[in-house]
Amino acid sequence: MTETKLTARNVDVYYGPKKAIDNVSIDIDNGIVTAFIGPSGCGKSTFLRSLNRMNDTIAGARVTGEILLDGEDIYAPSMDPVALRARVGMVFQKPNPFPKTIYENIAYGPRIHGLASSKAEMDAVIESSLTKAGLWDEVKDRLSDAGTALSGGQQQRLCIARAIAVSPEVILMDEPCSALDPIATAKIEELIDELKENYAIVIVTHSMQQAARVSQRTAFFHLGNLVEYGETSEIFTNPREEKTKDYITGRYG
Amino acid sequence: MSNNSTFSSPAFAKRLARRHAAERRFKLIGLGAIVLSLAFLALLLFIMMHNGLGGLNWNFLSGSDSTDPHTAGIWSAAKGSILTMLVTLLLSFPMGVLAAIYLEEFAPRSRWIELVEVSINNLAAVPSIIFGLLGLAVFINTLNLPRSSPLVGGLTLALMTMPVIVISGRNAIKAVPPSIRDAALAVGASKVQAVFHHVLPLALPGILTGTIIGMARALGETAPLLMIGMRAFIVTPPGGVTDPSSVLPMQIFLWSDEIDKAFVQNTSAAIIVLLVFLLVMNGLAIYLRNKFEVRW
Repeated sequence: MTETKLTARNVDVYYGPKKAIDNVSIDIDNGIVTAFIGPSGCGKSTFLRSLNRMNDTIAGARVTGEILLDGEDIYAPSMDPVALRARVGMVFQKPNPFPKTIYENIAYGPRIHGLASSKAEMDAVIESSLTKAGLWDEVKDRLSDAGTALSGGQQQRLCIARAIAVSPEVILMDEPCSALDPIATAKIEELIDELKENYAIVIVTHSMQQAARVSQRTAFFHLGNLVEYGETSEIFTNPREEKTKDYITGRYG
Repeated sequence: MSNNSTFSSPAFAKRLARRHAAERRFKLIGLGAIVLSLAFLALLLFIMMHNGLGGLNWNFLSGSDSTDPHTAGIWSAAKGSILTMLVTLLLSFPMGVLAAIYLEEFAPRSRWIELVEVSINNLAAVPSIIFGLLGLAVFINTLNLPRSSPLVGGLTLALMTMPVIVISGRNAIKAVPPSIRDAALAVGASKVQAVFHHVLPLALPGILTGTIIGMARALGETAPLLMIGMRAFIVTPPGGVTDPSSVLPMQIFLWSDEIDKAFVQNTSAAIIVLLVFLLVMNGLAIYLRNKFEVRW
């Protein structure tokens, strides 16, 4: 019983005169994990960043076409990018906790959005976010330690907890495990699998194994085009396109 | 095997010895450079202490300028310096920081902004006497602010200090990793929130360092203050920023020009006071920098 959360129609993304994404149309569903795969520079991260308008911060970046969140055009003048990013959270390639305490890292988002009106409420948000991110047991006794003092994998889960804390509907993950060791990666993948119940999750990954492990749908990008999109099991066992087949069999990468 | 023979050949040993010799030479020259410059500083300090320490007493520290070297004191000039620095800091720090934030974080990339950037960089290199002329023309002749006052001195020095703060501020802001901005924006912070909650606190130690460097330079400035009449003979300490006043380096300049030999001691003592001022300011800078520094 999936429903469409994000819809892209004929989306082009430009960096100055350079076209990084060419006419991509895709439906992203709630309650599942969608993976974007493709060789470096294929535009998968660019496309991901256009889904919560993080591309707005890059000078010269321009998006045409239509991206709808629950049917609402996110590039419409009536859409406030700040409000949008509270609904569409993001986790980055390199863990980027604020150089503040673990508590403050989580509390920042809820505080600026006024999501907790008392200390007790905030404490509850902190606990539930860290619990959902599978970090609570490891850090509950040292919430006032610096977030940057955690290990890489813990930092990334802290960043996921920070994203969860503002109750987003979609979580975008831009190669969240590429800076992590295999054990930390396994933990994050487990976490992604649990989180998908409540969020639409989009993950960009360089690792085809990871896409196969965590995602239900996979989109294959090549040179700014969406080459193929479908059930992950289909893409990896029975790709329709020759290019997809070449990529997943390691012919190029 | 072939590698081993390369590294044990006499030619290689000779080459290695040459490289070590070059390293020793460099260390020696570097040490020489430091010792030479420190020696001059020590000599200066020694002469100042020798000439001036005898003149440092309560009467000197609390008195005002006088034609009699034995009753002349430094307090009126010191107070003028303090008031002038306060005006300079209150104006140049907020303006410089805001300008740096705007240029680095908000300004759209355009010809116009590039022109502004080039102008600010050039402004930091303009000889200070030009700022004095500007102060004279604008603050005194056009705005009719009181001549010789710490207000006009502070305004003039603020013009000179602001570009320094802008440049160091921009560098400090640039050094904050972009991932921190991304992190804040991604949880739904607005641009202004991302900058003021996250970027600015991380940039603050660098901004403060630049500010103190600019302020220390302003504290030692004499030329622009000559232009706005702060070389007057002041016998009472200024009561406020609009009263006629002198400043420490100006007092040094005036006393060093006196014919009476007894003023040599006063000049040296005044230099000691100015150096103590600078030391205190630098100490404050180091304290603030350590206090605000965030460890990753």
